[in-house]
Amino acid sequence: MLVLRDLQRQYTKFRLGYLWSLLEPLGMSLVLWLVFSVLLGERALGLQPYLLFLSVAILPWWWFLKSVNSSTKIFRRTRGELAFTSLPPQIWVLRTVLSSMIEFIFSLPVILLAVIVTRDLPGPWIILFPVAVILQFILLYGVGLLVSSLSIVIPDIARIVKIILRAMFYLSPILYSISNIPEKLHIVAAFNPLVGILGLYRIGWWPEEHVSPWALVISLSVAAAFLIAGIVTFRSLKPRILKEA
Amino acid sequence: MSIVEFNNVSIALSKTKRRKGAGRSQRLRRFAGETKRQIIPILNQVSFTLNQGDSLALVGAKSMARTSVLRLAAGTLLPDSGTVIRTEPIVPMIGIARSLGRTYTIRQNIYLIGGLLGMKPEEVNEKLPGIVEFADLASVLDKHLGAAPPITRQKLAWSIAMSMDARVYAVDQTLVVGEREFRQKCWTRVDQLREQGATFIVSSDNTKLYRRFCDRALYFTDGTISADTTVPEALALARQARFAARDQSRAPKSEESDD
Repeated sequence: MLVLRDLQRQYTKFRLGYLWSLLEPLGMSLVLWLVFSVLLGERALGLQPYLLFLSVAILPWWWFLKSVNSSTKIFRRTRGELAFTSLPPQIWVLRTVLSSMIEFIFSLPVILLAVIVTRDLPGPWIILFPVAVILQFILLYGVGLLVSSLSIVIPDIARIVKIILRAMFYLSPILYSISNIPEKLHIVAAFNPLVGILGLYRIGWWPEEHVSPWALVISLSVAAAFLIAGIVTFRSLKPRILKEA
Repeated sequence: MSIVEFNNVSIALSKTKRRKGAGRSQRLRRFAGETKRQIIPILNQVSFTLNQGDSLALVGAKSMARTSVLRLAAGTLLPDSGTVIRTEPIVPMIGIARSLGRTYTIRQNIYLIGGLLGMKPEEVNEKLPGIVEFADLASVLDKHLGAAPPITRQKLAWSIAMSMDARVYAVDQTLVVGEREFRQKCWTRVDQLREQGATFIVSSDNTKLYRRFCDRALYFTDGTISADTTVPEALALARQARFAARDQSRAPKSEESDD
């Protein structure tokens, strides 16, 4: 019920800019598609059709980026509210993750557009798409709790997170496919929780590209570890967060 | 019947409210060793019990300490040591007016703040006409709050908080707000609530308000409760302390002038 309230609050904020939530990832995919597919030739990276391949991963990445970035300043922004709300402070993290998720869902027509342009319909494995959404939500909630509570103690976290996110963009199979990585490194790559999740997003179109079950398990347990770490840090820092208000 | 019980509550807060310069320059200065992040004890081993029907005044403490007591009572601040036991939910009226969103309409603000205070949407639905009527905002209900004057914000926040049928209120400065007419309405409502057995913890800079409204006062010195008395007595104590401090600060000066 309270989540609903937050959504309503968020909704008014980005209703004006709804078109932007379509245009932003669309523009990004088009630029990257131009660079990596048209300019560098079709041999280079990822799987075909590249435009679709790219946009399926760019949208979740966009969600991830926005959510983690904004969770660095959650509690600084909600200072005033923290003073009088008896609701648990987690709802602010939840709100951030949820509102960026809604934005992600609103931007799904970009994928639809890419499907229409490339005429490449997904196979039966597309049912794992919602699963990936849920998993990413859980991961983001954990990371959000962790980052937001740490950023109260260490204000520099915001900068560090920016660098890590930039690195993550290139370390995750967004521009390329997991099959572009040497076989030996697959296990190492699996420690990036995004690898497993992005694999689930793409499995509908490219079932042959899928991550090995082992790697998937590792990815998901890393995500679960993030969730637990987030909850634990948040618990222990809660008095500190409230003091900051 | 006790409503809030403080057991040896202590808390220290970092003194960051009034720092010089923006965040970055402050950090640079701290890095250069010019300033330190100060953590000052606010409350020290505070114990008291708030009973049903009390209207408690906080006297003698700085406003930060008073706000901390209110927030601790309402549970929006957790003590460093000691425990706070609540038997009933408390409506914290602490800086609500500041949190009204200027990009939302007044109706949205009511739902939002009401929700944050713990009302369900249906409850807000029910109370919306009352709130709007009380705050005299019916004609602008669907307008954006925008740069509304503070007085309007305060009136709105007050109306939302007081519309909740809670039995305990923790009020920071805003027991009565607005212009004279509205203050009169506030008094009527507040007195009515008190007659119905509601409990109040009030923090204010206005001693007249304490005298008019409160029947019990806690007198703080250096973060501890040194007296739990009636309002006039606590105010007299505060006054004595002020005089003493003034005399003390004068004394060394006169010595210097003698030299």
